[in-house]
Amino acid sequence: MKEIVVISGKGGTGKTSITASFAVLGGKDVIVADCDVDAADMHLLLEPNYEISEEFYSGELAYINQYNCIQCGKCYDVCRFNAINVNNGRHTVDALNCEGCGYCARVCPSGAIINKPQKVGQCFTSILKTGSIMVHAKLGIGADNSGKLVAKVKNEAKEIACDELKEYVLVDGSPGVGCPVVSSLSGADFIVLVTEPSVSGIHDLERVYELVERFNIKTGCIINKFDINQGITNEIMDFLESKNIVHLKNIPYNEAFTEAMLLGKTIVELDNDPVKFQIMDTWIKIKKIVK
Amino acid sequence: MKLAFTAKGTTWDSNMDARFGRTEFLLIYDDISKELSSFDNRESANNAHGAGPKTAQYLFELKADALITGNGPGGNAAAVMEKTGIKIHIGAGAMTVKEAYDAFQKGELKKV
Repeated sequence: MKEIVVISGKGGTGKTSITASFAVLGGKDVIVADCDVDAADMHLLLEPNYEISEEFYSGELAYINQYNCIQCGKCYDVCRFNAINVNNGRHTVDALNCEGCGYCARVCPSGAIINKPQKVGQCFTSILKTGSIMVHAKLGIGADNSGKLVAKVKNEAKEIACDELKEYVLVDGSPGVGCPVVSSLSGADFIVLVTEPSVSGIHDLERVYELVERFNIKTGCIINKFDINQGITNEIMDFLESKNIVHLKNIPYNEAFTEAMLLGKTIVELDNDPVKFQIMDTWIKIKKIVK
Repeated sequence: MKLAFTAKGTTWDSNMDARFGRTEFLLIYDDISKELSSFDNRESANNAHGAGPKTAQYLFELKADALITGNGPGGNAAAVMEKTGIKIHIGAGAMTVKEAYDAFQKGELKKV
């Protein structure tokens, strides 16, 4: 079983559109893990049935026991996140502001405050329209993605892939360069970077590659919308060459991506669009590399 | 010398865990006493953030001289490892602990 992780650094490069296309092309050979939990949207294109759902806890939140609270206000004084509300002497925690740091619990003289594990959302295992399986998650309002949640989604997908003898785990990776991305990359066999030729596109590509480099994982890159700025595309290609990153494909700007999205489909499900064949070609290339 | 492995179980036949920070167990092999011991790391894995640096700290406390793992630690954990001087050998993510040990002995793992 091989784990392929798709990341982009910058948002809006087409990462998820391309990942979902690979998921459709791979069909039943692929178990999908949507680790872009902050803005999960693979479900819009792959029609999961939310077969199994499980509550997910990560991090902590302060909780004030009103019976024990002596209304001294020390928690209010020390909280750096303005997370203690005081209403007619009644002290309560604002769940959206609380970071779970535990300072209030530490200073509370009556022991009325404890940190409780925070329910951040739900984790799902679904059957997709492709007949394969996806592990994904949905965060509650104001909740954060975390390395822990990403690890859970990935590990579950890998377990299913092992049990069902599937060839690939395809991961839609998390954005940015923080803990969730480190967690997305860890354990991968191949990384696909999806970028676009814009100033922030190349900047974020270089930044996220610093992280990838650390893991010594074989990496390829797709330059999406390459024709919107040939100059930066050339710069990106030079960067790929200097870092020994496999240049997988240049994909032209194409409104068929949006058309497909509006239909709730991936571009490879449209009839005979030229980009469809380029993505198919890229998927075959990736499969050859990870073999 | 004490060798540390990131593993999914506690024996020589256990599979290696390709992850570093959120590995389930750290196995320590002491090549003088020839003993294999295990450290349950599932509590670190339970942290929302910062599992890597925490695991790196445990490795230091366990007095490991070298680490054998899958991809290696991320940025923050690598900074801790650098300070502790523990040598990192990667590329053993898909092996059993025994196979990883043999590969290490034969110098087949990449040192970072």
